[in-house]
Amino acid sequence: MPDSTHALRALDVSKTFGGVRAIKGVSLDIAWGERISVIGTNGAGKSTLFNAIAGVFPVTSGTIELFGEDATRLPTAARAKRGLARTFQTSRLFEGLTSAENVYVALGGTEFSGHLLRSSRRTPERWLRVEELLDRVGLSGRGPMIVADLSHGEQRQLELAMALALQPKLLMLDEPAAGFSPAERQHLSALLRDLPRDITLLLIEHDMDIALAVADRVVVMHDGEKILEGSPADIRASERVREIYLGGSIDDAA
Amino acid sequence: MSTLPNKGEPITTTPSSPASKRRPILWVRNRWVLVGLVVAFAVLFPWLVDRPRFWIPNIGIRTLWLGTIAMSLVFLNKYVGLLSLAQVTFAGIAAYGVGYFSVTLGLPYLLSIPIGILIGTLAGFLVALIAVRTKAIYFLMITLAIGQVFFSYASQAIEVTGARRGLSPILREDYGFVDFRTLEVFYYAALLAVVLLYLLCHYLANTSFGFALQGIRDSPDRMAALGYRVNRYRVAAVTFAAFVASVGGMILVFDRSQVDPDVVSLGSTLDVLIAAVVGGVGSLGGVFLGAVVLALLDNFAQDFTERYQTLTGVIFIVVLLFAPAGLAGVGGQVTRAIRKRRDRAAPPPPEHQEPQAPVPAESAIQKGNQQ
Repeated sequence: MPDSTHALRALDVSKTFGGVRAIKGVSLDIAWGERISVIGTNGAGKSTLFNAIAGVFPVTSGTIELFGEDATRLPTAARAKRGLARTFQTSRLFEGLTSAENVYVALGGTEFSGHLLRSSRRTPERWLRVEELLDRVGLSGRGPMIVADLSHGEQRQLELAMALALQPKLLMLDEPAAGFSPAERQHLSALLRDLPRDITLLLIEHDMDIALAVADRVVVMHDGEKILEGSPADIRASERVREIYLGGSIDDAA
Repeated sequence: MSTLPNKGEPITTTPSSPASKRRPILWVRNRWVLVGLVVAFAVLFPWLVDRPRFWIPNIGIRTLWLGTIAMSLVFLNKYVGLLSLAQVTFAGIAAYGVGYFSVTLGLPYLLSIPIGILIGTLAGFLVALIAVRTKAIYFLMITLAIGQVFFSYASQAIEVTGARRGLSPILREDYGFVDFRTLEVFYYAALLAVVLLYLLCHYLANTSFGFALQGIRDSPDRMAALGYRVNRYRVAAVTFAAFVASVGGMILVFDRSQVDPDVVSLGSTLDVLIAAVVGGVGSLGGVFLGAVVLALLDNFAQDFTERYQTLTGVIFIVVLLFAPAGLAGVGGQVTRAIRKRRDRAAPPPPEHQEPQAPVPAESAIQKGNQQ
């Protein structure tokens, strides 16, 4: 029964890849405006869960409700139109375009289907929005640069700008801090904390740093299952999480 | 933090520096200056040659239709990342449309021309519905297969296509205010159509639609995640390219005065592909360079060798080896070569001259991130 108190409800979702059960009956509810981090080691099923919610592949069983509507069978583009934005773990930016053009394209998916055949030069208000978004993620002045010339950190920032371009209700970030320097991590963490509260956030992080700093609630996955759920403080104190992240001291990381 | 310039050019962090990376040194800076020069040459061309009766149709008009069909291929390849081998087929279907409606049914050309273009475009739409579900080599194979199916059909369906004999005569007419029977009038009308098509392609590439196509070329997954219905855009692009090819088919059919299976043969497909590659698959205008080379070879290679097809092949290979971006990409290649030599000849200035040495872009970027 769909309800509209949750931005996302994943119910008993399983996904099998050629006999390998990547996620096994995972349920996840996210209230409007809530910020959730999903953590776990490599191979825990985080990304599979993420892609299932984004609609990259159909789930083997279970249901996914988005914004109070059954979205289990909706294609990716339809989920995006309903207000779901995602970033990609490995950058899949538009390599042949500039940063500004990348964001411009991102704006187009949901925004200006009516002006499809108007010259881009005649859309100053959209280029202004592009500038705003670039400023917001800390890429001021990088607009004219070809994506291939951006640093790794800047490419991740651009990812975020493109996701925000959708004015999402639910923003899903797939390891946004991968390959970041400590300084870049802090910058990103501040940026995420400053996001308006009407954006529901689902963060997948291999690293605990940002995951615990940003989230209201943390979900721990291991071996395709959800094993723990709680506040960042609970997770920090958990023996089980310590075991999983063998040797890594959580207190140091946080 | 050390501010040693990195191995490449030391880019200072002025606001204009990112753009300057793309700007060529030697080549004409403004695309439109170049386009204007080429068009001016094309306009003057009939007066520059010794035998207009020979040059206008065999080199001029042939270049125009071959280039237009090749341009439709390049549009798809450059902006959507699809390599279609069915562009000649769409042009041919449009040409058969004119032949069928005018030769067989007796409709005036002023009606059959738009009908022909419409049929060619529609064929593109239908092919696109099937073909866009495939990618890369599979898209290429499926368009090739469709082209061959139509070739077989054209060679055999005697009631519709006239089979091997084809449909003829398809003759240019005198409309009172313009006399298309005159070669010059036909040439200039074709040139005008081609220039308009080029501008249209260029315009489209710079619309939201065009940017979306380029996004799909680079990362279809992300485009879907951004809310784009990727396949619809691909279908629209293939349909548009079929329209461009169909207009090329109109020039072709009135140039040949007939339409027969040769028009849609594998040989014609290869001609278009060669024109596109020699001219440059990354350049809408460059294909006309490729088309003119091919037209010249077709007409003159026989004068000094019996193996003119071998010569075409050799030229094709030489271009692929030494100018992978085609003749249109030579300017950029020369620019890069000069830049490289200049950098080697003049290493970065010694530091004592300028204590506040220009900050390399990359370290400045890192600084920006840390703030």
